[in-house]
Amino acid sequence: MNHIVPSHVETLEPIKPKIWQRWREPLVGYGLILPSLWIFLVFYYGPALFLLYISFFHWSIFQNRSSFVGLHNFVILFHQPIFWQSLLNTGYFVVAVVPVTTLLAIALALLLREAAGLRKGKVAQTLVFLPHVTPVVATSIIWVWIFNPNFGLANVVLHLLHLPSLLWLSSVHWALPSVMIYTIWHSLGLYTVLFLAGLATIPKHVLEAAQVDGARGWLTFRRVLWPLVSPITFFVIVLASITTMQTFSQIYTLTGGPHGGAGGPAFSTTTDSLLIYQTAFLYLHFSLASAMSLILFVLILGLTLIQKLIADRFVFYR
Amino acid sequence: MKRTILVYLLRVFVASLFAMPVYWVFVIATSYHGAAYQLPPVWRPLFHWKPLVFVWTHTPWARYVFNSVFITATTIVFVVVTSAFAGYALAEIKFPGNTLYFYAMLGVMMLPQQALLVPQYVLMYHLHLLNSYAGLIIPFGASTSGIFLFRQFFLKLPVSYREVARIEGVSTLTYLRRVAIPLARPAVATTVLLTFISSWNQFQWPLIMTNSPSLQPIELALSHYMQAYQSNWRDLTSAALIALSPILIVFAFTQRHIVSAVAGGDVGQKE
Repeated sequence: MNHIVPSHVETLEPIKPKIWQRWREPLVGYGLILPSLWIFLVFYYGPALFLLYISFFHWSIFQNRSSFVGLHNFVILFHQPIFWQSLLNTGYFVVAVVPVTTLLAIALALLLREAAGLRKGKVAQTLVFLPHVTPVVATSIIWVWIFNPNFGLANVVLHLLHLPSLLWLSSVHWALPSVMIYTIWHSLGLYTVLFLAGLATIPKHVLEAAQVDGARGWLTFRRVLWPLVSPITFFVIVLASITTMQTFSQIYTLTGGPHGGAGGPAFSTTTDSLLIYQTAFLYLHFSLASAMSLILFVLILGLTLIQKLIADRFVFYR
Repeated sequence: MKRTILVYLLRVFVASLFAMPVYWVFVIATSYHGAAYQLPPVWRPLFHWKPLVFVWTHTPWARYVFNSVFITATTIVFVVVTSAFAGYALAEIKFPGNTLYFYAMLGVMMLPQQALLVPQYVLMYHLHLLNSYAGLIIPFGASTSGIFLFRQFFLKLPVSYREVARIEGVSTLTYLRRVAIPLARPAVATTVLLTFISSWNQFQWPLIMTNSPSLQPIELALSHYMQAYQSNWRDLTSAALIALSPILIVFAFTQRHIVSAVAGGDVGQKE
């Protein structure tokens, strides 16, 4: 390409660029990042800082008066049993959903990967991924029907397996597990595809070498595949924890409507994000809701950091 | 051989398990009244389109669909433009703060969305953006993954293209519009698809930031409808089908692209 550039261009070089010309390039750069930078600062970083501020003030959106109350909001919060209940529910939700999702995703990825020599794997992969792109409210409708105690599919399946039928979303013990089932159905495709991508990057010769050495089935998985996909496993666990901790839409739609206010029955599905929503936008306690938000913020950040530390120790990077 | 058949059967089982609920929306929506209460359940669609037409004409779904289409389309345009601009700046232009901006942009992904809703609501209140299309569009007008995608793509463009453009005296904007963005078509396609899905499926943000029915996107309208028509399953699933169809149609034609975009471009590239 270089020979096309006429030689006299080089003779222009020694001319000293003016101030404007020296700053021309950076200015264009700033102009180009400005639109997105503005959105990030105003709608994301700004609110994050503002959150710190309102958590420590007694503050209302409809008044201009606000007074510094220190940790008062947190003290009130810690005396609310429902706050602890919501943390417990969130913990239960995350601890149940994340390991199940991760294990199922690995299993599905192994089942669907190309190596078995079947072309139909692509279709199955697409169908497993499909729920992930569906709108939550639209598919929640059919799941409310599936979980219906009288004529829903869930109890039909239990009946076929000769198990006692359940009240599902209307039961204090089974409402949250029902939401878990929906959540796993909705998100498993994403994690499966991430594992499939990880498996696809494993070089063929590594697997062949293992085979020559006599590794079969479980041994191949334990000694070859598992260590090689462990960075992806770590990524999936972090991503799944952060997303499940913030689950909102399916809890709101599955437990609302026919079963009274969302979060029921008897607060058994009130997780932290639902409680924040209700405290702020139904009861208009903005200060309490921001104190809760700050706790959630710190929890999620802490979780990410802890997982990073663990990963640095135990994950085998290639 | 036996193992191959077993793997095949397992795959069919898993695939149908995941597709079943979506299929059932269709079955109940086009079935006879009361089919939802049948035991054992109805399996085959009857293709009765009357209930769907009834639901469409007796509730302002056209309005909600318009809202969703308008919000989604505008968001997509915003995201593609801001992502291409910032991605280009990060990849090709050296300016002080370049790296800082890169990390600031990635940092946005670390901010937990649920924890930000309360201060964001207060901000929207003070900016007079509650109950407006602008309030549903502008905050989503920039996307970290979009910027990252365009940056990766522009890094691969030969430097000589830009050199030639500079020598010819073409401005950066013209170069972007006429050369760089048309060349980055795969990045544009991926950004459009991913933004379409996330924007169409938007629920919590409009739930909090709007209360006027004339602005509601379809997901929000659907959740109100759900509370009003609790046990009228045929009408409910018909309405759900209206919200689902655009996603299903787009997914049917672009599934390979979407899957590989989500997986970071590793899955779909074979074959």
